[in-house]
Amino acid sequence: MSVEVRNITKKFGAYPALYDVSLKVGTGELVALLGPSGSGKTTLLRVIAGLEFPDTAEGRVLFHGEDVTDMPAHKRRAGFAFQHYALFRHLDVFENVAFGLRVRSRRTRPREAEIREHVERLLKLVQLESFAKRFPSQLSGGQRQRVSLARALAIEPQVLLLDEPFGALDAKVRKELRQWLRKLHEEIHVTTLFVTHDQEEALEVADRVAILREGRIEQIGTPDEIYDHPATPFVYDFLGNVNLFAGRAREGAVIIGEIKIPAPGMTGGPETPAAAFVRPHDIHVTRERSGTATLAARVRHSHAAGALAHLELERLDNGEPFTVQLSKEQFRQLRPRLGERVYVELRNVRVFPEGS
Amino acid sequence: MLRLRQRGVLPGFRLTLGCALLYLSLIVLIPLAAAFVKASELSPWQFWHDLTTPRALAAFRLSFGAAFLAALANLFFGLLVAWVLARYQFWGKRVMDALVDLPFALPTLVAGITLATLFAQNGWIGRWLAPLGIKVVYTQLGVFVALLFIGLPFVVRTVQPVLEDLDLELEEAAASLGANRRQTFRRVILPSVRPALLTGFALAFARGVGEYGSVIFISSNLPGKTEIVPLLIVTKLEQFDYAGATAIAVVMLLASFALLLLINLFQWRSSRYHARI
Repeated sequence: MSVEVRNITKKFGAYPALYDVSLKVGTGELVALLGPSGSGKTTLLRVIAGLEFPDTAEGRVLFHGEDVTDMPAHKRRAGFAFQHYALFRHLDVFENVAFGLRVRSRRTRPREAEIREHVERLLKLVQLESFAKRFPSQLSGGQRQRVSLARALAIEPQVLLLDEPFGALDAKVRKELRQWLRKLHEEIHVTTLFVTHDQEEALEVADRVAILREGRIEQIGTPDEIYDHPATPFVYDFLGNVNLFAGRAREGAVIIGEIKIPAPGMTGGPETPAAAFVRPHDIHVTRERSGTATLAARVRHSHAAGALAHLELERLDNGEPFTVQLSKEQFRQLRPRLGERVYVELRNVRVFPEGS
Repeated sequence: MLRLRQRGVLPGFRLTLGCALLYLSLIVLIPLAAAFVKASELSPWQFWHDLTTPRALAAFRLSFGAAFLAALANLFFGLLVAWVLARYQFWGKRVMDALVDLPFALPTLVAGITLATLFAQNGWIGRWLAPLGIKVVYTQLGVFVALLFIGLPFVVRTVQPVLEDLDLELEEAAASLGANRRQTFRRVILPSVRPALLTGFALAFARGVGEYGSVIFISSNLPGKTEIVPLLIVTKLEQFDYAGATAIAVVMLLASFALLLLINLFQWRSSRYHARI
């Protein structure tokens, strides 16, 4: 079951939530919509579910090639899990999950025994078999979210839409549920879109990640592609874990302090301000100056808790801070002292013109 | 050991409970107890005789019956009004919102006279009903109409805040699970407002049973036909039959109290599971 949206534009008052967004999700794919708050990711999900409608006639929603743009939400069979679960408080867990089956028309409604069997199978899938008689108020946040997932799955949805499914949970439960969701998806293989603002979550769980910014898709690709080849400074910045060096670009190269790094994308002409992005693990630190392409820096702070060690340095020429990540082994050899002068070499530098 | 309270951070339990009990005693319990004391002047036989006269029975039937039917009607129309006020934005909404409170604010006497004038044979509304053979003023139907008017705000004002607080996401969830609007209303919205509806019904009913001012103007007050219980009490008082009047009052009191208690029990049963989030 593939899902496609074409040229979706949606405004709330004067504020554009989505601007000409197109996206195709293949059958059985798990796609993350990643972006800061207000980037339109939830609106896109709601448009697919039929809870919002596109503003213009060009905006279309297709399920497996069939146009469902004008179909009301209750006919789309799009399972939706809400950030705050939206469980029915007056129904117990079993009846919450059975809801979607009980509201079917008399002709397609399963018999009571079939409903019971189906719901029990789903409760087992979400590991809540023993909670069938509990009410939502008697469950923890993680359990509630799993009930809401089981409830959405009960209708055998054409597509599963998860709106910040783990947003309201604490870090440990989040991490567990994340892995559980990945496993679940491998078991049932339903086409899934999920919204998140947590880049780690998106990169870990999804087959593909779409990064949204101010109502537009900034980049879409596999987690590897997105992480290794960010298309724009925004994506670089949003994925986090990156150092930004301000420099000047001229004739196919960028100058940062005393060093000059080739930047093929930058055309000749007058000198322009540019931003160079380097990941913390792509910075090599030495105590002595080796070669010419190094920057002088001072050690401001170091910490070695965890699998990797981190150094916080600041450039000697303009005081700009940046972070370096190194292995425990390298850290032991270097043994940096506070305030000490070191030299850094930048690798895999990605340059963008300023303001892009 | 019976513990009246659990240790908590909220101060002033004893003081506030004491004040609340004192106030309730002065305003509610002592006057009610006085009614019981007065009624006990009658012998049991006399008590029973006073209550089972055809005139008293007819009055009970009319008061409780009309109040029940009026509360039932207000249950539906009150829900409708509350729904419109809670869900839609429209021109004149504030005026409509204020109108709902009018039966609260208007002296019931004025309401009675107004209704009687409107529904009279030549009144604005009565003139259209007369050709259909419907007579409102001076009939039991008139009592019902007056109680409709009196009871409406009770239902609207209890249901409206609950409807306003209802999470729209619940309805979206129901829709995404395949429920159409009718099913969503019946299976999601109605269960959420049911406790409030019950409360509104109980209040409207209790008020209807005790209503006096508006009814006596629209009803002919014929003993055994269109005479309501409160009027019967007044009549007995005018004949200096104080014990007989309080006997009837005591029965009304017990019946109303039993009903309120029943509804509270029902509420408690249905709300046992939620809240606490």
